[in-house]
Amino acid sequence: MAPVFWLSMRQLGGRVRLSIVVLLAALPVGLAVIVFFTARDDATYEEGFVNVLLDGMLVGGIMPIVTMALATAAFGNEVEDRTLSYLVLKPISRWRIALPKLLASIVIAGPLLIASGIAATIVGLDGGVRESAAVGGALFAGVVTYAAIFTWAGLISTRAIAFALIYVFLWEGLISSFIHGVDYLSVRGYTLAIMHGIDESGLEVLSTRVIGLPSAAVGASAVTVAFFWLAVHRLRKMDVP
Amino acid sequence: MSETVTSPVIDVHEVSKWYGSVVAVNEVSLQVYPGITGLLGPNGAGKTTLLHLIAGLAGCSDGDVSLLGERVRDNPKLYRRLGFMSEHEAVYGFYTGRQFVEFSAKLHGLTQAGSAINRAIELVGLTNVQDRMLATYSRGMRQRMRLAATLVHDPEVLLLDEPLTGTDPRQRVEFQELMLRLADEGRTILISSHILEEVETVAGRILLMVSGKLAAAGDYRAIRAKLDEQAYEVRLVTSSPRQMAAALVGTDAVDSVSVGSDGDLVVMSRSVAALMKSIPLLAKEHGIRLTRVEPLDDSLESIFSYIVER
Repeated sequence: MAPVFWLSMRQLGGRVRLSIVVLLAALPVGLAVIVFFTARDDATYEEGFVNVLLDGMLVGGIMPIVTMALATAAFGNEVEDRTLSYLVLKPISRWRIALPKLLASIVIAGPLLIASGIAATIVGLDGGVRESAAVGGALFAGVVTYAAIFTWAGLISTRAIAFALIYVFLWEGLISSFIHGVDYLSVRGYTLAIMHGIDESGLEVLSTRVIGLPSAAVGASAVTVAFFWLAVHRLRKMDVP
Repeated sequence: MSETVTSPVIDVHEVSKWYGSVVAVNEVSLQVYPGITGLLGPNGAGKTTLLHLIAGLAGCSDGDVSLLGERVRDNPKLYRRLGFMSEHEAVYGFYTGRQFVEFSAKLHGLTQAGSAINRAIELVGLTNVQDRMLATYSRGMRQRMRLAATLVHDPEVLLLDEPLTGTDPRQRVEFQELMLRLADEGRTILISSHILEEVETVAGRILLMVSGKLAAAGDYRAIRAKLDEQAYEVRLVTSSPRQMAAALVGTDAVDSVSVGSDGDLVVMSRSVAALMKSIPLLAKEHGIRLTRVEPLDDSLESIFSYIVER
């Protein structure tokens, strides 16, 4: 699996793509600094920080977009430039092609987003180890789950980014914000629930609108496994250009 | 190479492939045996789709394909014995030529990768530029390095889709020599092309595809002979053109005879075998000396053009 992993790292680590995702990941930190110095004395500062910056911006926007930019390209670029045949015409199981692709997306997106989340939490919430671990752990789970979904999406359509954007903004952004039950079928819901589950006291503001930690852990795991299996299945059955 | 000569290495049985309402391959049946086989046809004839079906890159809408006696689709282990070079020239431009071949070797799980890589790169004559990035290669060099990556695991069966694109005449000759050498070692090689001269000199057998169908299969001269409804032109140089023309016009094998300004005869016939038999007999009968008998269009190009224009 190592050759495919390192190949994917080089493919996804292109200067332009990397610059964009680094810039996106840095946004919450920059905003946290600004908010901290301009609004920390407000009565609703902590609630606003968690709802707007951590949930709305980082979990609801930056995390899916950064993961999408990487994971849809993991196979999407190979399908588009027709180099996928170099991988599938080898005597290796399809999961051994899909897994390193998925891992490469996670290895690039994960540290960037986790660092961004932890830095924003430390700056904005004066967060300690527990809060940072909660944000970092939840973001990692979110990145893994999104990466599985978007890796599969990159295999089923050359317009995966467009479909992924619609999904992120409609389902994860709009619908999951207004309909509580959707949290059981939403990566954003899982991420917030895991965040709150690890540090209930520090992130108490989330307590009224998150599902339980076990449900979130099971949901995220199930979605990850299901979409990874779909990606492997697609690799086995698709017509490779 | 363990297969017996009598069993086909590639067996395509009533295969069709359609994309929506477009039929790319239409009920094609063929067998390919060890040696070099040319897959010819114009662009859009279905050659690439057929090769993809044989390689398992695409699934058949109908029919079956087997390679070395095994099902191809969803059977990755079979790729230890197959080398496929697609028509698409895209490569990982950030790899050097050697890294690209090495990547292929590693995915094939080669234990003696170093020597296999050296051998493959030597075969295509790119040892001196193997450490340059692929992005800096010319089109022809890229094709050759792709061929090296295809050959690195020493496959028994080679499927090459338009392998000579971008190569110069000298490289073509080298490629043809390489193919002949590999075929002599017992490999089965299927080369597709829309340029007839590319395969005419190496392929012992031709498969001709037109509009998704297998239009003809066999030795290219045999294919030509089978097309008896196509007028076949033969030039004769004789000691007495007019007398020979008169003699020929009276036979069933001849459609028309014309005498050129240089005195050469051009005979049109739809029955090549009968014509070739009757020419020496008529010459002997009339005491005419024949100095040259040559087919004017006995080439793949004429067969190809004819079938395509039908």
